[in-house]
Amino acid sequence: MKFKAYLTENGVNLLEKRFLPALDKMGKICHLYLTRDHTMFLHNLLNGDEVQSIAQFRKEALFDDYRISSQNENRIAFTVDISLLHRAIRSSVSICTEFGSGPTQNRLQIKLVKKLPPNCTQPMPFLTFETKGYKSAVIQDVPISKPLSRDQVLELQTALDMAQDLPQTLVQVQDLNQLQNFVDRLKHVGDLLDVSISKYGDLYVQISTTLITLGAEFRKLLVIGEQSDEPAEDRNLSAQTRSVRAISRGDAQSVQVNVKHFAKSLHCHLAKPDCAFYGIAPQGACLTVIFQFFIAGSRQTDKSISLHCRLPVLDPGSS
Amino acid sequence: MSSSAMEAEAPDLVCQLDNVQGIVDALTAVRWKRHQDAVLELSEHGVVLIVEETRCLQAKVYLQRELFIRYEYGAQGRPRFGVSLGLLVDCLNTFSVPGRSSMIEIRYPGPDMQLLLKSVDSLDACIYAEIRTRIPDTISWDYNFEPAGSTPLSFTVKSAALKEAIDDLEWPGSSIQIMLQPVPPSVTFRGEGHGDLQIDFMYYANTDLLIAFSCDRQVSYRYKYKFLRATTSNIPSSVIKDNRGSKLTIGRGGMLKVQHLVSVSRQSIPHPHIDSAGYQQPSRIAYIEFFVKPEEDEDTVND
Repeated sequence: MKFKAYLTENGVNLLEKRFLPALDKMGKICHLYLTRDHTMFLHNLLNGDEVQSIAQFRKEALFDDYRISSQNENRIAFTVDISLLHRAIRSSVSICTEFGSGPTQNRLQIKLVKKLPPNCTQPMPFLTFETKGYKSAVIQDVPISKPLSRDQVLELQTALDMAQDLPQTLVQVQDLNQLQNFVDRLKHVGDLLDVSISKYGDLYVQISTTLITLGAEFRKLLVIGEQSDEPAEDRNLSAQTRSVRAISRGDAQSVQVNVKHFAKSLHCHLAKPDCAFYGIAPQGACLTVIFQFFIAGSRQTDKSISLHCRLPVLDPGSS
Repeated sequence: MSSSAMEAEAPDLVCQLDNVQGIVDALTAVRWKRHQDAVLELSEHGVVLIVEETRCLQAKVYLQRELFIRYEYGAQGRPRFGVSLGLLVDCLNTFSVPGRSSMIEIRYPGPDMQLLLKSVDSLDACIYAEIRTRIPDTISWDYNFEPAGSTPLSFTVKSAALKEAIDDLEWPGSSIQIMLQPVPPSVTFRGEGHGDLQIDFMYYANTDLLIAFSCDRQVSYRYKYKFLRATTSNIPSSVIKDNRGSKLTIGRGGMLKVQHLVSVSRQSIPHPHIDSAGYQQPSRIAYIEFFVKPEEDEDTVND
C-alpha cells in the first residue's frame, strides 16, 4: 500500500483556505478516501443520524505526480482528524512563504508512511507532509487510523454509491449568507425544521412549535429537474397556504430535519461555493444540498470539485 | 389561513416598521430572565408592552405610533393579549438583517388570535411568523406612580454610569439603599451585605454624569438588588453609545421609576447630533419605564 503525491499551489489553497475550514465544521474526524483518480473527504457516511458530507476532488485539482497503489484496486481509505490535517498544511504554507523561493520550488509532498513513534513498540500509520525550504526541510506527521480493510473499503464505497442519488427537483439558492443568517437566528426558536421544495421554484424553511410558527419563503428560484408553473390562483396567497396547496397537489415535497443539522450544512459556504442547490431525495429519504463551484472567472461548473451534504430526515413516515 | 378570510374582518391593528433592530433593542431592555410573560396593549396611540415580576417590579415599553411607518388601528377599547417575551424578541430578531434595514408588517389578531408578522421588503423572499397569544392572566397589579410631593424627587444620570454603579453594587448585593439629599445636592447608592459599598453622585462635582437633579428634602429607600439590576442589565448598547441619560424618580411610598430612551431611527440614516441629555427627534424614540417597589424596612428614613 503506497501513496505519494505533491500538493499543487491550487490544491493547497483549496484545502487550506476553503475546504478544510468548512469540513472541520462538519465534524472532527472524517474518512479520507483515495482512489486512482479521486480524493474524497467523507463525513458520517457510515452513520445515518448525522449530516453526511461528501467532498470529492479529481486528483488534478489538488495534486501532481500522484502515485497510488494498493492490492484493493488501488484504493486506500483511513480516518483522519481534519483539524490536524489543516494545521499541518497551514504550517507548511507558512514555511514556504517564509523561505519564499517561489511556489514551484517549494513542493509540498504528502506521503503515507508507517513509523515507530517514541515509546511505542508498534509502528503507526501517518500522513507525512514534507516541505522543502531554501536550506531546510520540515516534516510533519499527521496520525491517521489503520487503513481500512478490503471489506471496510467496500462498505464505504457502497455507502458512497448510495449517497449519489439525485433529487428529482432541485432549487438554486444564491444568497447562502442570507439563509445562514436566518437559520442562525431560527435556532433559538425551535429544533425541528420543516423544509419544503416545490417544482415552481419555491423553498420554504419553517419551525413550528405549540407557541410559534416562524418561517421563510424563497420564491422564483431556478429549478433543475422536474418543474412546473405555479397555478395563477396561488400567487397571492400567504406563504404557508401556498406551501400546503403545492404539497397536496403533489408539486412539492416536505421533510423535517434537525435545525442544527441544517445550520451545520450551511457552514459549507466556508468552502466558498458559487451557489447551492436544495432538493429532497426520492421518497423523502433525505434533504440533499449540492454546492456548485465555478471555474475561476467563469460561470462554468468546475467538474473537478464537488461537495454535497445529505441531512437525515427525522420522520420519514410523514412525507 | 387565506388572505380573503383575513380581509373579511378588519384586524385590530396593522402596522409596519422599518427598523426591527431598534424594537428588538427596546424589548431586550426589559428582558431580565429567560422565561417572561408579557402583555401587549394596543391603542390608537401605539403599542405598550408590560412585563412584571412578583408584584415588586414592572417594566413597560412604549412604542408610539410615530415609530411605525404605517399604523392602522381599528379596534374598540384597548385590546390586550399575552405573549412570551423571549419568543417575541427571538422571533423579531430573525427579521433583522445585519447591515440592512428590513421592513416588517405586524398584524393582530390572526384567525386564531395569533400575532402575525411578515417581512414586506422583498417579493421573492419572505419571512413570516405566527405567535400564539393567550388571554392575559389578571389585570396586572397597578403600579400607580404618584409624585411624592410638590417638588419631584428625581435625577437624571448617564445611563452608562448608572449601569456601572449598579453592576458594582453586585458585590455587597441583597439590598441597596438609594438616598437623595438637597444639601449638598447628591445621590447615594449604598449596599450592605458581604461588605459595604457606597457610590456618591455629587450634583455640582459631576454635572457630566449627574445631568439633572431635583430634591427638596432628604429621602432614603431600600430596593432589592436583583430588581434594581433588572432595570439596567440589558440596556441596549445604542443607549450607551449615544451617551444618553436615564431618569430616576422616587414617588409616593418610595416607588422608584427608572426611564430610558432607546433610539429606533433607521440604521441607514446617520444619527443627527445628539446633545448631552440624549434628546433626539422624539418621534423615533421608544420609552422604557421600570417601576420598582421599595423594601419594607423600618430603619429607612421615610417621608
